[in-house]
Amino acid sequence: MTRFETRIAGYGGQGVITLSKMIITASSLYEGLAGTQTEAYSAAARGGKCWAEVVIDLDKTVKVIDYPKALEPYDFLIILSEEAAADVKPNMIKKEPNTGYLIWDNSTIQKVRAAKKVDKSLGIPIQKMAVEKFGNIVYGNSILLGVFTILSGIFSEESALETIKKFVPSSTLDRNLESFELGKQEAIEFLNRLKEGNN
Amino acid sequence: MSNASFQEKRILTTGNYACAEGAITAGCLYFAGYPITPSSEIAAYMSRRLPQVNGTFVQMEDELASITSCFGASYTGKKAMTATSGPGLSLMAESIGLGVMLEVPTVIVTIMRGGPSTGQPTNASQSDVYQTRYASHGDYEIIVLAPSSVQEMYDLTIRAFNLSEKYRIPVIVASDGIVGQMMEVINIHSNIELVERKKPQVPPEKYKPFEAFDDDLVPGMAIAGTNYSFYVTGLTHDIEGDPQMTPEAAEVLIKRLCEKIKKARPQINDWEEKHLEDADTVILAYGINARGVPEVVEQARQKGYKVGLVRLKSLWPFPDELMERIGQMGVSKVIVCEMNNGMIIREVQRFQHLFTVSGITIPTTIPFSPKFIYEKLIKEV
Repeated sequence: MTRFETRIAGYGGQGVITLSKMIITASSLYEGLAGTQTEAYSAAARGGKCWAEVVIDLDKTVKVIDYPKALEPYDFLIILSEEAAADVKPNMIKKEPNTGYLIWDNSTIQKVRAAKKVDKSLGIPIQKMAVEKFGNIVYGNSILLGVFTILSGIFSEESALETIKKFVPSSTLDRNLESFELGKQEAIEFLNRLKEGNN
Repeated sequence: MSNASFQEKRILTTGNYACAEGAITAGCLYFAGYPITPSSEIAAYMSRRLPQVNGTFVQMEDELASITSCFGASYTGKKAMTATSGPGLSLMAESIGLGVMLEVPTVIVTIMRGGPSTGQPTNASQSDVYQTRYASHGDYEIIVLAPSSVQEMYDLTIRAFNLSEKYRIPVIVASDGIVGQMMEVINIHSNIELVERKKPQVPPEKYKPFEAFDDDLVPGMAIAGTNYSFYVTGLTHDIEGDPQMTPEAAEVLIKRLCEKIKKARPQINDWEEKHLEDADTVILAYGINARGVPEVVEQARQKGYKVGLVRLKSLWPFPDELMERIGQMGVSKVIVCEMNNGMIIREVQRFQHLFTVSGITIPTTIPFSPKFIYEKLIKEV
């Protein structure tokens, strides 16, 4: 199986859908991999329980994604709200080398119970970092894209940077690129900890 | 989504936007609609895009006005489209028959959501398959296409315009809330074949609006306001277009209206097939619900089961010839997968003298996962 299953869950307005669109833009439009993005619709995307999914096929010869919804166990699960955290079960995430990541925002979520039983799980104070360093939670998306780029490894950094340029207003580009770097660093440090076996 | 992005060859977009851009590519110059979830993005996109190509967008007061104004626009020689969802298509029901009767090229897009009634507006379904076929009263045939990807939203919308022009009939693109809303990269082709409607084949003084000269039974269509004067009506009419209340007039007209579509089935019907050459069991699906099937078929074949796949890209007129061919090829069982309580399966059951028919027919809002279909399949093979 060469499918890479990503799910992002939180509440509407956090950038759940935007992040999913950034991921498919980097992987499908710029990296040339077949992909499908689906999202919560209507009220859910405007303050309610919100989710978005991206399925990417890592085999470049595959032209279309068969089943369009992300299937469990996921390669990448990003959790941004308490409510979404409560739904996470350890077997929802792949237990394989180099994939199966659970990422959550530990500045908005007290605890993800399932995290202990997931090998590669990481809490990052995304919202706090975005507000403290850049003055606005919207930069959380670029932080997360940085994390995703490094950990997933499914598209190049160039594709990620092109994506950021496509998505953000030029007046905020510098701050978004800085946010992206910040996310990358978090991910690199996390990978080093995993290698050393002290996560 | 900026409009300029469609000048690129490869673009990342949603099904609804791809549908609207397909319409523009096909030469659509008129859109009338009333917003409804989950189809509203088509109208929104057309409202921005049509003025750029000197077209006209009108947000009408309701769905009844939307579809009939498309007929008016089409009779001025312009290609016209409306888009809606199940409840809106219910309101258009009467006029779908009018469109068939007036033989007016029009494209109607319906993005299926849950029903009956208000149902689940923000979710997908395939429960309006009968509605697309039988919405209107009277005895008629209609063409319905079923895209299953964002690419096909673009391709099949263009095809819908071509078929409606060729056969002078409303053509329905029946998609669903998932395909309409989801994002995928699509390829915009540069050499697209466009079909234009048949023009009058005689000078104005000899023109009879419903006189068909050719084997395809399609009369040449004059443009309103030109030297060709004509009258059209929803009443049963003769070739002059005048109302005729005789039994013969009904028989002649209805037969021709139905026959022009029935005899064109080989040209209209479209599907994707795989492994039919040695298949003992065939999974038949369409639209979003067909997306899980290829994986199931490959998985089953690896285990030694002789399973094939048929994905319908057109639903109506139903591809009888395909069913007969499947029977002749030695397929002993057809399993129909659809996100409704069983609609297309009843069409397939008409061929039970050729193979046995079973179904996974569930009125759900999420397409069947490969795992789910596989588990059902191995109980049957």
